[in-house]
Amino acid sequence: MNTVEEPLIVTEGLKKDYREGGVVVPAVRGIDLRIGAGEFTVIVGPSGSGKTTFLNLISGLDSPTAGKVWLRNRPVSDMSGDALSDFRRDHIGFVFQAYNLIPVLTVRENIEYILLLQGVPDDERAAWVAGILKEIGMEGFERRFPPRISGGQQQRVAIARAMVSKPELILADEPTANLDSETGSELLDMMRGLNRRTGMTFLFSTHDRMVMERADRVITLHDGRIAKDEWSRRT
Amino acid sequence: MTLALRLGWRNLFRNKRRTLIAGLAIGVGLASLIFTDALMQGMVAQMIKSATAAYLGEGEIHRRGFRLTQEPGLTIHDAAGVEARLEKDPDVEAFAPRAESFGMITSAAEARSVMIVGVDPSRERLLSQVDDNIRQGAFFEGSGERDIVIGNALAEILGVEPGDRIVATVSQAGSGVLAQDMFRVSGIYRFGIKEMDEGFAFVRLAKAQDMLGIGRGINEIALKFRDIRFATRKDNPFWTAYSTGGNEAVSWAVLLPQLRDALGLFWISLAFMAAILFGIVAFGIINTLFMSLYERMFEFGVLRAVGTRSAGVRRLIIFEAGALAALSIAMGLVLGLVLTLVVARTGVNYSGIEFAGTTFSEPLTPVLQVRQLVVYPLATFLFTLLVALYPARVAGRLRIADALRKSL
Repeated sequence: MNTVEEPLIVTEGLKKDYREGGVVVPAVRGIDLRIGAGEFTVIVGPSGSGKTTFLNLISGLDSPTAGKVWLRNRPVSDMSGDALSDFRRDHIGFVFQAYNLIPVLTVRENIEYILLLQGVPDDERAAWVAGILKEIGMEGFERRFPPRISGGQQQRVAIARAMVSKPELILADEPTANLDSETGSELLDMMRGLNRRTGMTFLFSTHDRMVMERADRVITLHDGRIAKDEWSRRT
Repeated sequence: MTLALRLGWRNLFRNKRRTLIAGLAIGVGLASLIFTDALMQGMVAQMIKSATAAYLGEGEIHRRGFRLTQEPGLTIHDAAGVEARLEKDPDVEAFAPRAESFGMITSAAEARSVMIVGVDPSRERLLSQVDDNIRQGAFFEGSGERDIVIGNALAEILGVEPGDRIVATVSQAGSGVLAQDMFRVSGIYRFGIKEMDEGFAFVRLAKAQDMLGIGRGINEIALKFRDIRFATRKDNPFWTAYSTGGNEAVSWAVLLPQLRDALGLFWISLAFMAAILFGIVAFGIINTLFMSLYERMFEFGVLRAVGTRSAGVRRLIIFEAGALAALSIAMGLVLGLVLTLVVARTGVNYSGIEFAGTTFSEPLTPVLQVRQLVVYPLATFLFTLLVALYPARVAGRLRIADALRKSL
C-alpha cells in the first residue's frame, strides 16, 4: 500500500452524530485518514455509509462531534464564521451533483463569482475566466444562461467555477450522476487531465464505476467507518 | 456589489407571477396611500374653505379682548393704517371691515337675538359668500341706508319677506344705552347652515357704527389670502406683524379650534391607515421573500459553500427586496397617479353633507402634491428593506449542510 508523504487532508478520530427525534444517529464513527496533495481519490459506499457527511466535515460545511480535520495543516474543524467562508473560497472548489449553477447568472458570471468574492481585479479576472473557458472547451458560451445549455455543458461550467480560483482541493459529489455515460466519461477525462496538469487534489463521492476506474485511490466507507482503502495499480 | 444587485434584480423575474402579485400588493398599498392622502388634502381644503369662505374669513384682526367679550367699544387700533397695510400686502387677496354686536331683531310677529354685523358691501362681496347665497331680494344694491339682509331661517321665524320692516336694537358701546332703528328687509340668503341662516343680520357699516356709537371704528377685519394654506403655515410672520398696537391677528385655526382638532384627527386616521397598510405589505414582503428563500435553499447553500459570507447572503436578500420595492413603487405610482387624476376630474359628490361643523358645498377633489409622490414611495422602499432584514437574517444563518442535504 502506498503512503501519503505530503498530506493535504488529515482527519483524526473524526466523528459526527445526528439527533433524530431524540435518538443519536452516528453518521461518521471515527475516521483517521490522510489524503495527499494531487491525489485523484474516490470515496464509495452504500447509501447512509457517511460519504456526504464525511465530505461536509472535510470542507467545513458541517462541524464534527469529535475529532479534527486539517487542510494543508490548517485546522478546518476549529474554524467558523467568515474565516471558514474565506477559507473555503480560497482553498476548496465544489462540484455538485445537479450542477447547481446560479440560473440567473450567465456562464461567465457564474465562473467569475468566486473571483469577485476574492476581489480579483477586472482585467485579471477576465483573463482567468477566458483561460478556464478555453480549458473546458466552452468558449463562445460566456453570455449564455445555464438553462440554455446542456447538462454536460453545465457541469463543465460547474467544474470551471470550482477551479477558477486555483484551489488546492476540489470536492465533487456524484458529478456524473445526472449525465449520460459518454458525457460523464468526457468530463471525468477532463478532470483527470486537469488533475495531472495542475496538481489539484480531487476528492469524489460516487457510485459511478467510471470514476473509480480513473481514481488513484478508492476509499470504501461502511457504517461511517473506512472499510477499505485501495490504491490503483497505476499509482 | 454590482453582481449582487444584478442577482437581486434578475431573481425577481424567476417567478414572474409571484413577483407580479407581491408587487401589486405593495403597489396597491402605496397607491391607496397616495390617493387617500390626496383625497384628504382635498377634503381638508374643502372644509377650511367651507368654514372660512362663507363668512368667517381665513383670518381676522380684532382689538385684543374683543373675541372674548364681544364688547363693541373694543375697536381696532388705527384701523385706517391697518387697512392701508392690508391693501399693499401681497399675500392678502381681500379683506372686509366689520362692526358687530349682539342685538335684537323684532318684527310684527316675533323677536330674535342675533349678531348684527355692519359691512362694507363692496368689500364684503370679495370676502364672504352672503351675496352669492341670496335667495330673495339683493345684497345691498343701491344706497338704502336702512337695508338689512337676513337668513331665510330668521326670516321664517320673524315672518318677514323682502320689503317688510323690522326693528334692530343694540346697546351702545360704553354707555350701554339702547339704540333702536327701523330697517327694510332687502335680501334673504340661505347657506343651509343653521347658525348662519338664523343667527346673523347684515346692515351697512356706517349704520352699524352709528347705532353702536363707535364713530368710524371697526371691530373686525376678515381676511382672505391668495393661498388657502397661508393662514396655517408654520411660523407665519403675518400674524405677529399685524398683532400690534393692542390689536390681535389670528388664523381660522385659532377662531375654529374644533375644526382644527377635527382636521388633526384626519391626519391621525391617515397615519393609522398607513400603519395598517404597511403591516399588510410587511407580511406580503416577508411571505414572498421566504417563499423565494425556501425555493432556492439549495442555491443559497451553494453560494455559502463556495465562500459567500453570511453577510453576503443577507445582502443578496436585501437587494432582492430593494428590487421588489422598486418594481412595486413603479406600479404603485402609476396606479396612484391614474386613480387620483381620474377622481380629480370627476370629483366625489359630498355636496350638502355636514361634517365637523362645516358643510361641503362642492364635490371633493383629491389634491396631488409632490410630497405624496416622494415621501410615501421613499417610506415604502425603506420599509421594504427594513422588513427584509428578518428573512435576510434567516438566510444568513442557514446551516449549509442542511441546505445542501441532497448533495455534498
